[in-house]
Amino acid sequence: MSSRRHFNPWAFVLPGVIAGVVILGFPVAQALWTSLHRLRLYRLHDQVWVGLENYARLWQDPLFILSVRSTITFTLGCTVLSVIAGLAVASVMSTRGIRGTTAARFFMAFYLVPFVATQVVVGMMGRLYVWEPEYGLVNFVLGLFGADGPMWLISRDTAMGATIVTNAWRLTPLAVLIFYAALATVPEELLESAEVDGAGGWKAFALIKLPLIRYHIGFVSLIQLTSAFREFDTVFALTGGGPGRTTNVLSLLVYNEGISAANLGMANAISFTMLLIVAVISLIYMRLARLGELGQ
Amino acid sequence: MRTTSAYKWRDAGGLALRYAFLLAWLAVCVMPVVVLVMGSLKDTALFQSIPQVLSLRGFTLENYVRSFQQGNYLHFLRNSMIISFSALFVVLIVCTPMAYGITKLASPKTRNLIVFSVLATRFLPYVVLALPMYLFFARIGIQGTVVGVVLAHLAMQMPFIVWLMLGFFAGIPHEVEEAAVIDGASPFGVFWRICLPMVLPGLNASAILAFIISYNEFLFAFFLAGYDAQPLTVGITRFVGGADVGAQYGVVAAYGTLIILPIIVFALVVNRYIVSGLTQGAVKG
Repeated sequence: MSSRRHFNPWAFVLPGVIAGVVILGFPVAQALWTSLHRLRLYRLHDQVWVGLENYARLWQDPLFILSVRSTITFTLGCTVLSVIAGLAVASVMSTRGIRGTTAARFFMAFYLVPFVATQVVVGMMGRLYVWEPEYGLVNFVLGLFGADGPMWLISRDTAMGATIVTNAWRLTPLAVLIFYAALATVPEELLESAEVDGAGGWKAFALIKLPLIRYHIGFVSLIQLTSAFREFDTVFALTGGGPGRTTNVLSLLVYNEGISAANLGMANAISFTMLLIVAVISLIYMRLARLGELGQ
Repeated sequence: MRTTSAYKWRDAGGLALRYAFLLAWLAVCVMPVVVLVMGSLKDTALFQSIPQVLSLRGFTLENYVRSFQQGNYLHFLRNSMIISFSALFVVLIVCTPMAYGITKLASPKTRNLIVFSVLATRFLPYVVLALPMYLFFARIGIQGTVVGVVLAHLAMQMPFIVWLMLGFFAGIPHEVEEAAVIDGASPFGVFWRICLPMVLPGLNASAILAFIISYNEFLFAFFLAGYDAQPLTVGITRFVGGADVGAQYGVVAAYGTLIILPIIVFALVVNRYIVSGLTQGAVKG
C-alpha cells in the first residue's frame, strides 16, 4: 500500500489519453465544424458558414438515401452472415472427437487466412478470380453442380450479395475464434446430463450452448456491425460502389463527395451523420447487453 | 451391446460428416488465395477456366518481373515496412503502460470512464477521420509523411491493443506485485521487471496483431501518404488503377500475391499468438 503514495498511475495513462484526444478529438471537432460550412477542397480559404444547410440538403439527396439503404443492407448482411457462419464452424470445431486434436489446431490456423488477408487485395481478388462470371471460382463451383451462376458484380441484382459475402468472408474468422473459445467454457457435465435427459446434438446446441454464450454472440455482433458499417477498403477495391451505385455505401459516398466532388462541407456532413448513427447503435446495443447481464 | 456398436457407427458417420464440413470451410478460406497465387504464375492471355489456372500450363514469371519493374514493388514494400514497424513500436510504447496504468487507477468510476472512452473510439468510422486528419496534418506540417500515417494507425489501434493488454494485466495476481514492493522495487520497477515479463505472451500477440493491421491498412495511407510514404496497399491501387484491370489479370494477381502471401505465411507461423490475442478478454467476459 505504501507504494501508492509514490506511484501515480496517471503518469502511465495520460500519454495515451493525450494522443487519443489530439489525433482523434481534433479531426472529429474539425469534421463537425466543416460540416456547418460550404467549403471546397481546392479553395480552403473560402469558407462560408451555412449552419445546418448541408444536413438539410443531405436528406433530400436521392444518392444519400440510396447510400443509407445500401449501408444498412451491407452492415446487417455482413453481421448476420459472419455470426451464423462463425457459430456453425465453431460449434462443429467444438464437438467431441475434434476439439483439442492436432487436426483442430491445423484447421484453426488456416481459418485465420481471411482475417489476415489484405483487404484491398481481397477486393481485387474477388473481382478478378472469385466473382468473375465466366471464369471465376464461384461460378465454376456452381457449374460443378450443374447450375448457371449469375453475373455477380456486374449485375445490379447480385452485386450487393456478392459484396456482402466477400466482406463476411473476411469477418468470419474473428467470430469463429471467439465462439470456439467461448464454447470451451461450457461445462462438460452440463452437456452429459442433458444427453442423459435425451437432449443431444442440435437440442443441446440450441437449448444449452447458445444461451450460455449469448454474451459473446452480442459482443461479436457489435464488433462486426461497427466494422462492416465503416468498411471502405474491401468495397472500394471490389466494386468501387457500382454497378449503378448499388454498393455505394456511406464511407464511399464520403470519399466521392470529399475527394472526387471536392465538396468538403457536404462530405463532413455525411461523416458526422455516420458518426451519430454508429453512436446511437452502439449505445442501444450496450444498453441491451447490460440489461441481459442484469437478467442473469 | 448392439446399441453401443450402433452408437459407435453413428458417431463415426457423424465424425466423417463433421470433418467434411470443416474441410469444406477450409476450402472456402484458402481456395480464393490459391487461385490468386496460381493465376499470378500464368500467361494472362491463357486465363480461361479454374482448372487451367490450377494447372501448370502457360507457366511464366513475367507478371512478377512487371510487378517489380513497372509496379515499383520494392519502393512500396520499403514504405510498408517503415509504417508497420513504426506503428508497432509506437502502439506498444503508448498502449502497454496505458493499460497497466488503467488497472492501477484507484477509483473504479474513473477506471470505467477511461476504459469506456477508449473502447468507444473503436466505433468511429475511419472515413470520418481521414479527411479532417489530412487537413490537421497539413496545418502542423506533416502532411504526406509516414509520421501522419503512423499517428493515424496509433489512434486506430489504441482501443483494440489497450483492451487486449487490459485482459493480460488483469491476470497478474496481486501477491506477486506486493512481494516485489516489499522487496524494495520502485513502482516503475514493478511494471518493468515484474509485470511486463509476466504479460510477454500478450505483448507478443499485440505486436503481431498491430503489425498485421498496419500492414493491411489502406484508407488512412490512401488519404494521408504522399508518393514517398505510400505503402503496398496504395501501391497496388496506383499500379492497376485507371487501366483496364481485366486486361491484366496476371499482373494484379502477382502484385496481390506479393502483398498477401508474406503476411499469410507469417500469420500461419505465429497463429498461436493471434488466437490467444483475439480470444483474451473476450472470453473472460
